[in-house]
Amino acid sequence: MTVLGYLANGLVFSSIIVLGSIGLSLVYSIADFANFAHGDTMTVGAYSALVTFGAVGGLGGAVLGLPYGFFLALVAGIAVAAVVAVGTEKLVYEPLDVDSIGLLITSIGIAFIYRAVIQIRFGSDFTRFGIQPLRPIEALVPYGVRVTLHDVAIVGSAVVLVGGLHVLLQYTDLGRKMRAMADNPDLARVSGIRTKRVKLWTWVIGAGLAGAGGVFLGLFNQLSPRMGFNLLLVIFAAVILGGIGSVYGAMAGGFLIGMINQLTPFFSNVVEALPIWPGWLAALLESLISIEYANAIAFVIMVAVLLVRPNGIAGEGAT
Amino acid sequence: MSDDTTRPAGAADGTDGVDPVLSLSNVDSGYGEVQVLDDLSIRLDPGEIVCLVGPNGAGKSTVLKTAFGMLTPWTGTVEYHGRDIGGMAPEEIVREGIGYVPQTDNVFGSLTIDENLRMGGVARDGGLEDVIETLYDRFPIIDRKRTAKAKTLSGGQRQVLAFARALVMEPDVLLIDEPSAGLAPNTADDVFEDVQEVNDMDTAILMVEQNVTKGLGISDRGYVLDQGTVRFEGTPEELLNDEEVSQLYLGG
Ligand SMILES: Nc1ncnc2c1ncn2[C@@H]1O[C@H](COP(=O)(O)OP(=O)(O)OP(=O)(O)O)[C@@H](O)[C@H]1O
Ligand SMILES: [Mg+2]
Repeated sequence: MTVLGYLANGLVFSSIIVLGSIGLSLVYSIADFANFAHGDTMTVGAYSALVTFGAVGGLGGAVLGLPYGFFLALVAGIAVAAVVAVGTEKLVYEPLDVDSIGLLITSIGIAFIYRAVIQIRFGSDFTRFGIQPLRPIEALVPYGVRVTLHDVAIVGSAVVLVGGLHVLLQYTDLGRKMRAMADNPDLARVSGIRTKRVKLWTWVIGAGLAGAGGVFLGLFNQLSPRMGFNLLLVIFAAVILGGIGSVYGAMAGGFLIGMINQLTPFFSNVVEALPIWPGWLAALLESLISIEYANAIAFVIMVAVLLVRPNGIAGEGAT
Repeated sequence: MSDDTTRPAGAADGTDGVDPVLSLSNVDSGYGEVQVLDDLSIRLDPGEIVCLVGPNGAGKSTVLKTAFGMLTPWTGTVEYHGRDIGGMAPEEIVREGIGYVPQTDNVFGSLTIDENLRMGGVARDGGLEDVIETLYDRFPIIDRKRTAKAKTLSGGQRQVLAFARALVMEPDVLLIDEPSAGLAPNTADDVFEDVQEVNDMDTAILMVEQNVTKGLGISDRGYVLDQGTVRFEGTPEELLNDEEVSQLYLGG
């Protein structure tokens, strides 16, 4: 593959990470805790879409190699993830009324519950949406880019969702209230913002986007009960890299981490090609920069960035 | 109402028969297990400016926070127009007609001036745009910076914005915590003038102020707080001329 090829893959994977990062960051800054169940919320979205797709199947025609039924399933995945998150907030987090650390620990338990329920119903094996895999887009193959129409659909949908979130945050009343709450929760209440309601909408949006990310992850790779949890650390890295609590930072961080993750094989090719001396150093570098360490490399880069910008890419943590 | 010579003599101790717009009666309150207010009683009559003074840590901010539902009174009552509002949530108290300008962090730094004012009006039923325009007319300092982030404002401008944000609701009662803190003397004077102007439009004001002379100077009455309770109350003259008060609390 060429550099372009790796970048294209990175773009697809980044889209998924960005969708996951936004919700984690929103919930962190507005509901004030690090939600360890966020990865499993993605899984909930993916499996809800799987069930829906199983029911509606190849409904109607197709766009970008995806039957209309898949988009219906995507909407269902988003909706179920949002409903499950709101339900959890109402039934568990809100009544518990504990501090952020208490909520963090509770969310670890919630993560296990989501995953266990999925595992009981679907088993722990990998599965796929019953959609015909596509061949890479012919016109791009000469450039070393091997992406399918499905990948284009993933990136396109992510762009639409992120663009929609931007409009919501900047130009709607709800968005302004969300930014106000992230900025100064006490002053938000003093101003008359009914913060519980805004918090619920935050869960809807954050979990909905995570659900979409989960569905796309299932389409990009495959589905398994651990799919979201496995991505959680990478998403945390993205959010921290972006500047924890900043939604736009989370987008940037998600984009970078996703890119780095997919560019790792390219880096290792480069290292192989370089005339590194002495030989043991070359061997060491080659073994370190290999695909198995893709996530570790993302973390190393995160730490390196934080050494230079301790508050992350977006600076002070302003939304 | 800042001209206290026009007030009846009985007004100072609040026994002139007027129903207070806001009153705290025998209130104990505090943070977690830590008690700060101890059997505290104060009242604010319609149209008044009342100033709370006292040493650092006396509990002045705690009085405002308890009145505004940021803290729930442990015992005693907080009454607004004779109705108990003790422990009502701040976001609901705003809707009753009380406004509050906190001592610190009183603007949304990452929001623009315009957005700050909009946030001040989330509980309004309508007429938001008109009120905001009126406020811009009244405070040209912030009018010139509508689309700037609030964190870029100077201390004085910030105080004006904080003040304007609370006024978007056109409250009956305004609680203001140290409006002149950290401001240069002439900027502080401007803020005091703004306070008086708002009072002239029939808003009763309960203000905490560290600058005792200026704070009491624009007030109808004052309370001296120490260790969570009222030590002295009276007209500005009474307080400023009282030997014990000035020795103990007003820096000699
Ligand atoms: N959030 C809090 N948690 C615990 N204790 C607090 C808190 N805020 C204030 N206190 C304590 O309550 C007491 C009264 O504080 P308060 O802020 O009401 O004083 P103040 O009279 O406004 O002082 P200042 O002039 O410094 O503003 C102090 O002893 C303070 O340490
Ligand atoms: Mg104070």
